[in-house]
Amino acid sequence: MNPIGTEPYIVLSMVLFLMGALGVLMRRNAILVFMSVELMLNSANLALVAFAREWGQVNGHVFVFFVMTVAAAEVAVGLALIVNIFRERQSINIDDLQQMQG
Amino acid sequence: MEWLFLAVSFVAVLAAAMMLTRQNAVHSALFLIVNFGCVAFLYLMLDAPFLAMVQVTVYTGAIMVLFLFVIMLLGAETTTDTSGRMRWLGLAGSAVAIILLLIFAFPIASDMLADESPEALSTRARLRVINAIPGGDAEKFTVMEMGFAMPLAGTVSANVALDALDETKADSRIDGVVYGDAREAIRGYTELEAGEYTILVGVDDGSYVSGPIYTKDLILPPESAFSLVVFENDEDLVDVAVLADDISAPAVGMMRLTLFNAVTDRQVSMVDLGQYTARRSLCEDASCNSLIPHRTLVDELPAGDHTSLELDEGTYNLAFVDQDQNVLRTLAEYQADRGRIETRVLVREPGVPGSRASYRAAVYHAFGVPAFGSPESVGQVLFIEYVLPVMLVGMLLLVALIGVIVLARPDALAQAERRRINRRRRVNRPLVSVISQQTGADVLSGDYLVKLPGGSDDGSAE
Repeated sequence: MNPIGTEPYIVLSMVLFLMGALGVLMRRNAILVFMSVELMLNSANLALVAFAREWGQVNGHVFVFFVMTVAAAEVAVGLALIVNIFRERQSINIDDLQQMQG
Repeated sequence: MEWLFLAVSFVAVLAAAMMLTRQNAVHSALFLIVNFGCVAFLYLMLDAPFLAMVQVTVYTGAIMVLFLFVIMLLGAETTTDTSGRMRWLGLAGSAVAIILLLIFAFPIASDMLADESPEALSTRARLRVINAIPGGDAEKFTVMEMGFAMPLAGTVSANVALDALDETKADSRIDGVVYGDAREAIRGYTELEAGEYTILVGVDDGSYVSGPIYTKDLILPPESAFSLVVFENDEDLVDVAVLADDISAPAVGMMRLTLFNAVTDRQVSMVDLGQYTARRSLCEDASCNSLIPHRTLVDELPAGDHTSLELDEGTYNLAFVDQDQNVLRTLAEYQADRGRIETRVLVREPGVPGSRASYRAAVYHAFGVPAFGSPESVGQVLFIEYVLPVMLVGMLLLVALIGVIVLARPDALAQAERRRINRRRRVNRPLVSVISQQTGADVLSGDYLVKLPGGSDDGSAE
């Protein structure tokens, strides 16, 4: 019924994950780093859904559901932290955040 | 289909690249929304409609709105990328990305993903007994019994079979199936490990099991479902028909109806009468030259045989008709609900001798397995197998909510600072020492009631 196999989805998920990793490495804006992390989470979800279809098991979908829930909680807390950091330092450049460096 | 996948994935990758390269954070967030929308579309293509909807509501909806809110709240649209670091970080990042891509691509290039297709993980099969012998003759057949035993080299003697009907030796057993009742185990079915079974059906009159009246070797593949219909054949002997049930979800907006004819002396057709509800015969006149308008759904089903059909959702006036156009039984205002799977067994009920025989279309439901990836299937797994994780994630969300409220109080930092100062003051300068310094007396020594400057002796001073 669905002529597209699992591999193309895995390749796409790989590419998206690497773009997210690249974003985390390259961008200095904390919000953009956060968005890149979301991109990586999404690509992992895509791989999970693709494998769930390959195996015919709904457990993968359930796991993706949990990942989405945790991501929502994580974004809420992370953005609150970013707001606080910005209020204190007037900047969200992650290179400026080095007071914990030894 | 392929071009659709290619187009959507191209847009997804393009949106991700745009998100990475935009200097304006708002633009980045908007491109990320496009990317999430593409991923939701891919979920739809991967038979995961429920997740696609959750993706749209949670990710592209809630989370990205939160992002946009914060970006605009902070006024941090434009990034301050330090140019010198940017260059070598970009180079290093690209190098790492390429290395990772090669590592990830290795299994696919070497065909490690495709070398074996997974087998079905579930090894369960379902079996149910339908007793289609009317229970009027209570002494003869009231309860059907059934035992399962592993096959003994293909032949099963009566003695061995009798032993196997003993509860201790049978693998599984469906006891006491009365007429008009499919035993309620798992939606009417008993779950078994898939494999080869010898089915033994015996008759129980309440005190002892006589039988087996029927033995059959049956292979139950994984994820299959069978119905054993026990009925009286035209020699008035108990016979068993094995029906392979299709319990997969019917087509969208349809219901699946399986009809079994246990009326042994005649063929049965099932017709939709349309507006005619109560009829004794399909004939419009006594000589039966013409029939009332009807739509034939099942044509001349022989005795002991069965057939399946899918009905559109809606209301029908069904009638079961024999080959002489006599209406045996009508089902007026029959509701065909979408997604329902139903087995109807048409039997002749023993009436009072001399009166007209009555027929009954006994109904046995099988709700079927919900379609893969549908909200129903995900919900079943979520709330049956993963109840504890659901609770934990709910707790996590609650904790995150409280944490965000604590973090986001507008004066959280100022309050923390004030508290720190207060604490230091308390520790460094206790109140007693302040008083003793002001009064010039050693308050702790005990003689402090003598001279408090400007205060009266009743102690009403502050």
